[in-house]
Amino acid sequence: MKKRNIERVVKPGTPHFVGDGFRVHNFIPGSSSMQRMDPFIMLDYNSKYNFPPTDKPKGVGVHPHRGFETVTIAYKGRVEHGDSAGGGGIIGEGDVQWMTAASGVLHKEFHETEWSKKGGEFQMVQLWVNLPAKDKMSPPKYQAIENAKMAKVQLPNNEGEIEVIAGEYKGNKGPASTFSPVNMFNVRLKKGAKTQLTFLEHYTTSILAIEGSVKINEAENVLQDHFALFANDGDTFTLEALEDTVVLVLSGEPLNEPIAAYGPFVMNTQEELVEAFKDFNTGKFGYLED
Amino acid sequence: MELPNLKKHFIEKGGLSEQDYALIEPLIQTKKIFKNDFLLKQGAICSHFFFVEQGLLRMYALNEEGKENILQFATEGWIVSDRGSVFFQEPSTYYIDAVEDTLVVMFDEHFINEVSKINTDFREKNEQLLQNHIRHLYKRISQLLGVSAKSRYLDFVSMYPDIMLRVPQWMIASYLGITPESLSRVRKALAEENFKPHK
Repeated sequence: MKKRNIERVVKPGTPHFVGDGFRVHNFIPGSSSMQRMDPFIMLDYNSKYNFPPTDKPKGVGVHPHRGFETVTIAYKGRVEHGDSAGGGGIIGEGDVQWMTAASGVLHKEFHETEWSKKGGEFQMVQLWVNLPAKDKMSPPKYQAIENAKMAKVQLPNNEGEIEVIAGEYKGNKGPASTFSPVNMFNVRLKKGAKTQLTFLEHYTTSILAIEGSVKINEAENVLQDHFALFANDGDTFTLEALEDTVVLVLSGEPLNEPIAAYGPFVMNTQEELVEAFKDFNTGKFGYLED
Repeated sequence: MELPNLKKHFIEKGGLSEQDYALIEPLIQTKKIFKNDFLLKQGAICSHFFFVEQGLLRMYALNEEGKENILQFATEGWIVSDRGSVFFQEPSTYYIDAVEDTLVVMFDEHFINEVSKINTDFREKNEQLLQNHIRHLYKRISQLLGVSAKSRYLDFVSMYPDIMLRVPQWMIASYLGITPESLSRVRKALAEENFKPHK
């Protein structure tokens, strides 16, 4: 076991709106490139934000994706999703939506109608996980992962729990099926509690402090809404909750394949990007009503 | 300021060498404009050609009911201007505004003359671009008069592959001379024809 040090801590930058429903701070590729974060190629974080009540749900209208998976983790609020491959559903607090765009879908995401009418606090993470070249043109699929289905591992002395969305923690597997090794946990710690996490040294590993602040390796504080990227200089780091804390932990095996990205398409070559635009423009992603 | 799209334009389409480009660099005038800002308004005399280094412009006229009819979009590497107003020094009947925050390079007659002095082939190359533009306009008029909405749409997206992701549907419909509902129908019909869901 060797200590994994922090490479950098990133504070949340100026937020921008995605559509009119997601007010996000971008961490990937804004502060750390797609290549460095491989296989995590995009991370937008909607820190807690109060949306007023409305009869017209806010969100993002129909848009395409090809070549990767979009993962939405709902911490506060509810979102509704629909796509041209027939996938769709509603996720609420604690749930995760894992959409494999792969060969291409059109989709839209809005605040859920009933939630919109009341409005309230909204907090979500949207992450894009790259697909290996061999799976980029596989069929799209949709996994709605309810919180109840996630593996939950209690920490000793009632100090908190680790919720496994994807990957494995001490033999407990998360429900999400992935195309390459990806670990995605919510670590919930009570104030003063301490735990340690171990991932293979070459895995790209980062955390996002969703609630409260944590001390890493008994040395560096990561404040609420901050993101921290770990170096690949060891396999284990410790987390100590400075208050009651929720931390999103991401650790995945790099794909080490070329990346050609433009907007909502992430492929391996320029030619594949050109083809993606052509296929999208000529209806090969299907049709979805606005 | 690095202007890779402008450099590419002058070298690949204008016949300039790297050395020629270095000579024109001090003459380059740029302008940064924000989304919805205007470069030209109806009634003004247009004094420049606008080269898009980064961003997206559109040129449109207002019809009798005050509806916008879009004549042209200009994405990276494109030039847009009211040429009639520039050459004949007459008030423009068009508007040019930014669909996205845009970095524009401003060409005027003086600039074109200076570039032509640096490389004497430039005037001929520039005329070729003008002829190409006229050819494109003929094609556009002929399409508006007699080609199906579907063909017009397909031609449009092959010319501007990423535009569907950058511009609202109603603007695309305006450019194509159809209603937004017709554009939806065209896209839906194409999906029915070309979408092959995985079994």
